[in-house]
Amino acid sequence: MTSKHVIAAARTSSIKTRFARRFLRSLLKMKRSNRLGTGSQSNEEIKKRSTHIIKTAAYASMARAVGPRRTWSRSLLFKLRNPRRIQGVSSKRCLVTKENKNKRITRNKMQIISREPPSRADSLRKLVPGGDSMDICSLLEETAHYIKCLDTQVKVMQSIADYYSN
Amino acid sequence: MDPPLVSETSFSAANPSSYTLTEIWPFPPSSSTALGLRMGNLADRDGSIEESTVTEQSGGNGNGTRKTRDLSSEEDYSSKIVSTTTSANDLNDSNGKRRKISGSRSENNNSRAEIEASSGANNKPAEQSSKPLEPPKQDYIHVRARRGQATDSHSLAERARREKISERMKILQDLVPGCNKVIGKAIVLDEIINYIQSLQRQVEFLSMKLEAVNSSTNSSPMIEGLHLKDLGAQPLDATGMVFGPQQTREYVQGSQSEWLHMQVGGSFERAT
Repeated sequence: MTSKHVIAAARTSSIKTRFARRFLRSLLKMKRSNRLGTGSQSNEEIKKRSTHIIKTAAYASMARAVGPRRTWSRSLLFKLRNPRRIQGVSSKRCLVTKENKNKRITRNKMQIISREPPSRADSLRKLVPGGDSMDICSLLEETAHYIKCLDTQVKVMQSIADYYSN
Repeated sequence: MDPPLVSETSFSAANPSSYTLTEIWPFPPSSSTALGLRMGNLADRDGSIEESTVTEQSGGNGNGTRKTRDLSSEEDYSSKIVSTTTSANDLNDSNGKRRKISGSRSENNNSRAEIEASSGANNKPAEQSSKPLEPPKQDYIHVRARRGQATDSHSLAERARREKISERMKILQDLVPGCNKVIGKAIVLDEIINYIQSLQRQVEFLSMKLEAVNSSTNSSPMIEGLHLKDLGAQPLDATGMVFGPQQTREYVQGSQSEWLHMQVGGSFERAT
């Protein structure tokens, strides 16, 4: 029992440590690349870009630490892996014919009518990655998991920042 | 009043005195009344419980029974039904005895109704046991089933779905701080959305901070060693709740390939 408990504890803690390891690696890599290639752009832009990179790295390493089992991490990994494709799909969606547009609108309306808290569920869908295609049950489940992961992510990032600043 | 009685006795041929009486009395009117009575009796015996109109007709034919019929018809419904059956059997009895018999019959009816109700109550738990749900919900199902609505599969599925949603909402309420006291799904959802947004803003802010720190410090070799120790020592209760053992076990298999992928080059660099 005790050994099992230890193993379980190690496994449950491993998401956090995995995330931390990945995130630190990506930070290191960024540092090296930054040291090599800084020059042409202005300081503000570089800051913005690297902030964005760090943010994306944090989300990506969290999603990878969770693995492909959860829907939100899967969709996040998919988005990160091929952003071009996603953009292409979205631009295609903008060019849909009128019939399809009408169909989509009615479907959205139907969803709004049928779901229990309409606007709130939709805003939750926008927040949770991959939530567009979920029904309300799985959306809530994924939201719970996503909140936990975000929480650990914030904690780890906070501790790293504290350590660095010290 | 008298002729039906006399004619009735006249049909039972064992009595010699009644036989003489029939000779004395004129034949056609008495026979007609007697036949009407007989038919009424037969009708009562055939369709006694179901049709009260038949018994009313027989009462119209037999003059002697009409008064008692009216008396019995003034009683409530169940006793009326029973009294028609009993009155068909014994016409010459007193009213009190009839009431008594009808009372006992109505008691029988009540007990039968009770038996039916209990059998119905026995049927409902059987339906419930066929559906493997939580026992405390059975009262609710029982009420719904009494109305005759909940036995179809749609409402059962809908109820299960609602339970699922409320269960997850409870989990979320436990996760989000300051959400336990809030009543109402809409407000809870608002709180959840706000919390997620604040967390995402925190991530943004922390990445800004890390960027500033990361570009300024030159001590790269320090990073590796300390953090794994440092982070490993931290309390890990936040992640430990949702993740089941199966899930993490499955992840361990897939983690190494992803780790390799990470070392080859993280996709976040490709993303930007």
